[in-house]
Amino acid sequence: MTRIVVIDNHGQFTHLERRALRDLGVDTELVDNDTDPADIDADGIVLSGGPDMDRIGRSPDYLDLDVPVLGICLGMQILAEELDGRVGSGDYGGYADVDVEILDEDDPLIGSLAPETRVWASHADEVKEVPEGFTHTATSDVCTIEAMSDADRDLYGVQWHPEVAHTDEGEEVFENFIDICEQ
Amino acid sequence: MVNVDEFIEDATASIRDQIGDEHAIIALSGGVDSSVAATLAYEAVGEQLTPVYVDTGLMRKGETEQIADTFSFMESLRVVDARDRFFDALEGVVDPEEKRKVIGEQFIREFEREAKETDAQYLVQGTIYPDRIESEGNIKSHHNVGGLPDVVDFEGIVEPVRDLYKDEVREVARALGLESIIAERMPFPGPGLAVRVLGEVTPEKVQVARDACHVVEDETEKHEPWQAFAAVIGKGTGVKGDNRVHGWIVSVRSVESRDGMTARAQELPWDTLQRIQSRITGTNENVARVVYDVTHKPPATIEYE
Repeated sequence: MTRIVVIDNHGQFTHLERRALRDLGVDTELVDNDTDPADIDADGIVLSGGPDMDRIGRSPDYLDLDVPVLGICLGMQILAEELDGRVGSGDYGGYADVDVEILDEDDPLIGSLAPETRVWASHADEVKEVPEGFTHTATSDVCTIEAMSDADRDLYGVQWHPEVAHTDEGEEVFENFIDICEQ
Repeated sequence: MVNVDEFIEDATASIRDQIGDEHAIIALSGGVDSSVAATLAYEAVGEQLTPVYVDTGLMRKGETEQIADTFSFMESLRVVDARDRFFDALEGVVDPEEKRKVIGEQFIREFEREAKETDAQYLVQGTIYPDRIESEGNIKSHHNVGGLPDVVDFEGIVEPVRDLYKDEVREVARALGLESIIAERMPFPGPGLAVRVLGEVTPEKVQVARDACHVVEDETEKHEPWQAFAAVIGKGTGVKGDNRVHGWIVSVRSVESRDGMTARAQELPWDTLQRIQSRITGTNENVARVVYDVTHKPPATIEYE
């Protein structure tokens, strides 16, 4: 069975990411973010959201495990910060309802949501520049870089929360990520 | 989603294993979680379980009578009238976390007395999964996590629904044949109406909150909110019958949600809002105005404190 673990960066919705994966029938587990990368046995990794870049534990190390990674909210910012992108504070806090425009309809993670999707968000910081090799895949009025993908390395990030009930097509994002992990 | 029948079978078997021939006690709050935990435990060990319901004076309208009625099949049920003791303990307390602490401590005192009288070795609690997450994340303190076990030396703690989400607990409640009013009941905070009056908890403010919550639940029912309530948020001026009043401001909140983790403020029709306003100000002479909260979660939380 496909196994996707959720790295807990202390986000309020982290356990809903585990629940979304559980409900889609994959083997899943919440994992502390100070776990030794050598002890992680998974076909894919979700980097959860969280309150603070200072509490991400060993999250950067998990990018080297050579399995697909989905970074959610702070998890996406970790991808940008650790690779050569840039994170900064947004001009306008992204809370609750946001209309997101999908920029790349061929993207394996969110292309199927094109042309646009309604999401639920909760963040003050945002990615300002995507790292080299990444494509900017979604945008909104309140946050320019709502999503980014590097399909060659199978690294993906979304700034919103696909795991919460108020995000319209959240389940589809997880389904697409499961497909990516099963390839 | 959890398989309900399998869950009930496994849960009762494991409760029976854990408690054995000993005596157990549970604090029944009237909410879905503790009602389900109590019913599972009662099915497992019968009269070895003593359910205790403490009337804190911070309960919803008609709640105490309804609990006594719903759980009358449990012969061992104890109903404790502790209203005066809670209001005394809360006098002068304004900080929300301090309120929760005072209520938690008073609750423990009430419960400790009952536990000692029944000689219970096991404590059953209706802790659900998000309670544990929120307590770990320090977003707010839940009095059904921790506290009690430190004071009373129990042999063990039984938490039959610790891995379930709210919507799953409701499924189980339905399957257990708990009256629909319990299964469909809206979430209600552990500290009760104390966190629906900002600032000091007084019998007057709590009475306004209780009455207003009832009006809101009643008027919003056909719009099927996930949760709807009212809170007393401050004082402001008004004019009633040519007299200036300095009365309470009541905020009305009605939200849609699946699990309480995110919520959308409901778009209630104007005439519904007006009827709510009219009933609350018309029957509570000390209320000067009623407002409607349009904020989603995030950025706001569902409750005010």
